[in-house]
Amino acid sequence: MLTYIENVVVYTFLMGSIYLLIALGFSLICGVLRIFHLGYAYIFPLTVYGTWMLMDKLEWPLVPSILGMIVIQFIIAALIYKGIIKKYLNSEDVLLTALLLIALIVEQAASYFYPIQAGVFLETTLMSGVFQLGGVVVPKQLVVGSGIALAMTGAFVIFFVKTKTGMAIRALSQDIYSSKIVGINVETLYVFTMMIVLVPVIIGTLIVAPVWALEPQMGWLYMITAILIAVLGGLGNIKGTIMASYLIGFAHAVSCFVISEPRFMNLSALIVVMIFLIIRPQGLARSESLW
Amino acid sequence: MAPLLKVTNLVKRFGGIVAVNDVSFEIYKGETLGFIGPNGAGKSTVVNCLTGYLPASAGKVEMNGVDISHMKPHERAHMGLARTYQIPRPFPELTALTSVLASSISGKKRINQSFQDAMYDATHYLEFVGLFSKRNILARDLTFYELRMLELARALATTPQLIFIDEVMAGLNPGEAKSAIRMIRRAKEEFGITVFWIEHVMAVLMEAADRIVAINYGAKLAEGTPDEVVNNDDVIEAYLGRGWREYA
Amino acid sequence: MVETELKRDRIVIRLGTKKWEWVLEPRYWRNTLIWAVILFLFPTASYFFSPGLINTMISANIYAAIAMPLALLTIGTGRMNFGPQFYIGVGGYTAALLSITYGWGPLLTLPFAILMCIVAALIFSPLVLMARGLYYVLLTLLLPLVFLEVTFIYPDIFKGDTGLFGIVPLLDTGNAKTNFLYIGYISTAIMFAYLWIINKVLKSRYGLLMAAINDDEDVAHSIGININKIKIIAFVCACTMIGIIGWFYAHYFSSFAGITYLPLTFMLKILLVLMIGGRAQVFGCVVGGYFVAFLEMLMIRFMGPIQPVLFPIILLILLFVLPEGLFGLYRKRRYREYLPTIHVRR
Repeated sequence: MLTYIENVVVYTFLMGSIYLLIALGFSLICGVLRIFHLGYAYIFPLTVYGTWMLMDKLEWPLVPSILGMIVIQFIIAALIYKGIIKKYLNSEDVLLTALLLIALIVEQAASYFYPIQAGVFLETTLMSGVFQLGGVVVPKQLVVGSGIALAMTGAFVIFFVKTKTGMAIRALSQDIYSSKIVGINVETLYVFTMMIVLVPVIIGTLIVAPVWALEPQMGWLYMITAILIAVLGGLGNIKGTIMASYLIGFAHAVSCFVISEPRFMNLSALIVVMIFLIIRPQGLARSESLW
Repeated sequence: MAPLLKVTNLVKRFGGIVAVNDVSFEIYKGETLGFIGPNGAGKSTVVNCLTGYLPASAGKVEMNGVDISHMKPHERAHMGLARTYQIPRPFPELTALTSVLASSISGKKRINQSFQDAMYDATHYLEFVGLFSKRNILARDLTFYELRMLELARALATTPQLIFIDEVMAGLNPGEAKSAIRMIRRAKEEFGITVFWIEHVMAVLMEAADRIVAINYGAKLAEGTPDEVVNNDDVIEAYLGRGWREYA
Repeated sequence: MVETELKRDRIVIRLGTKKWEWVLEPRYWRNTLIWAVILFLFPTASYFFSPGLINTMISANIYAAIAMPLALLTIGTGRMNFGPQFYIGVGGYTAALLSITYGWGPLLTLPFAILMCIVAALIFSPLVLMARGLYYVLLTLLLPLVFLEVTFIYPDIFKGDTGLFGIVPLLDTGNAKTNFLYIGYISTAIMFAYLWIINKVLKSRYGLLMAAINDDEDVAHSIGININKIKIIAFVCACTMIGIIGWFYAHYFSSFAGITYLPLTFMLKILLVLMIGGRAQVFGCVVGGYFVAFLEMLMIRFMGPIQPVLFPIILLILLFVLPEGLFGLYRKRRYREYLPTIHVRR
């Protein structure tokens, strides 16, 4: 009994923190740009396979390929904004289809160049080995990852609350027209948001890369979790996202350790979200404000 | 004589704000009831509660003896309530004809009316308000006056017994305003409907209304013939402020 | 009870106190009849030249037959449904399981597949009424993926990894080529039936009510339209039509695996049939279906393994270049009719 509780508590914390990194990006894009970035799933395979491609084809060592991949990601994010989002902000059906297509193209390209048998592996372990916390065994990588996740979230919150650009983005997320009148440069800030949101996601993917499986379809799995967390927490609200990611981490931990059916993870998360939406349809926190 | 619509102790709260505070009145068949009050008095909220757009917090609404307080808006439309909107809300992607057509087929239950028959019916209402020549123009391309007339046609096409008219004079120049008043009077005579008219322009209501109800801050101030209400002290104070006697 | 009269240019049908008129305008039938005849002769022609084309034609008809109820669903409920393949899964698995367990033929499993779809649609219909804009998109997106997971979680029933085999086939004349021919005609018949039904509905008073609801829901409610009833009926009917296609897939391939139809790749193909053919235009779905099916077939034949990468890229380019879809190119008379707009974000 005690091991159950220990396992659930520790893994709720660990998984919740890692999910926080992944879901924060989706939630922020939804909150600031007020669109549904259904193509969010492209970031995950692009991180992994982009780095691998730079290491493989150009023979760069790990750290420069990671930096190269970050630059490529920024460029692609800016292109997606200029090419797709700006054009179709008013016709949402085309927008969502186009974004989904981008995710599909990246996934298929990754699967074409490096199918699942190619043995892609990223040595991004920061700390190898396992920890023994009471009766629970955890990989040290995940513990370090959780620490980094909390630090990044704290940095984001400080950025949004204390800095001028953060306040501008918060204003932008509430009303575009008033922001334009006051003098906020909407376009630049949109592109800036899309780029800054990539940072926690890339870091999150790189942290879990040595621990969890890597395959071209990994994007959809993480995106489902990100979507569920964002919906539960109220789209675009950081407080809500934090609470929701720990809730979903809890649901996953319970289904893994108490019910002992890891295959039920997504289903249990979906049931939790649906129950919450029936009780409180707008999510855990109001979605009109970022913080 | 039994009233057509009887409103008893209507209350509407939005959180802590009481927008409509214990309003009661009656409307009799065939009359024009005016509804006045300064800005923010709660006139549109009363209409929203009566037509079912907002659920009332307390109170009872009866129409022809039937309690309609908990009916959905479409059921109230089938009972015979129709409304126009203060800011015209046309169906932007539909033409004028199809807007009135939508009203005609979904208003009161009619027998032996097919889609094409309803189209003829809709043209009859369009011709009544004078929009027959504009029947194939998209609703968002019409002028402001024509939009108001379209609102009226759309409300009339549901063959109502009682029609709520919400500030139809706002934004019309004097010529258009005269046409609008004439149109409403003709509608009353030709279709035999009762009119509940919210208006800011007092001159209109002085001629057109049989009785007037005045409210302020959600509570009823006065009820009676136009002369009585206009000379009522509370009503004058609501419009001019508390110290009006010094300037009288 | 039901009386029909034939007047000079219309047929009048009366049922009780209701009356429907069908205005016959033969001058508009010419183009449709030409295309119908071409589609009719196509399977027979390719039976003699290259029977593989019948396969592509069946795929094309089925893509169109899934996209058309999706168009009805979008227009009827006013929201974009990103998970229609959930009902393909429901219909297909019902047919497959009944056929394997009890050995029933296709005609016997059809009513049960329809019944299960109606039940599933009714269970999820509160989503249509309650979930606003983006939440609805999300939840419909996630439902098929969760269904896929369930098929993996219970492998003894659903055989998630391998799929269900051994379903009674739709038709068996002994010769594989004649099988294809007959199934080709059946698929064309299904596609035409859907086309006719959905076109009639969208042009009738119900289409007008749906357009009014899409434009302004509150005003529609106040003029007497029962919006909940129309949305739920549109949802259930469209989902049942999609479920019937699941039944068709199960009996056509004699096997059914959730992994082929439930993930997002299949849904994107259907969505693209809808978008490229002409956004939410019923005839455009047919054009889009044929275009996507034949493009896919040509690309697989001539390009080999790089096809899954280039196919979405080409479709993305087409999506940008043709804002009105392929059918929009055909409609030279750009008169404005009451095409409803679709609002995802409310």
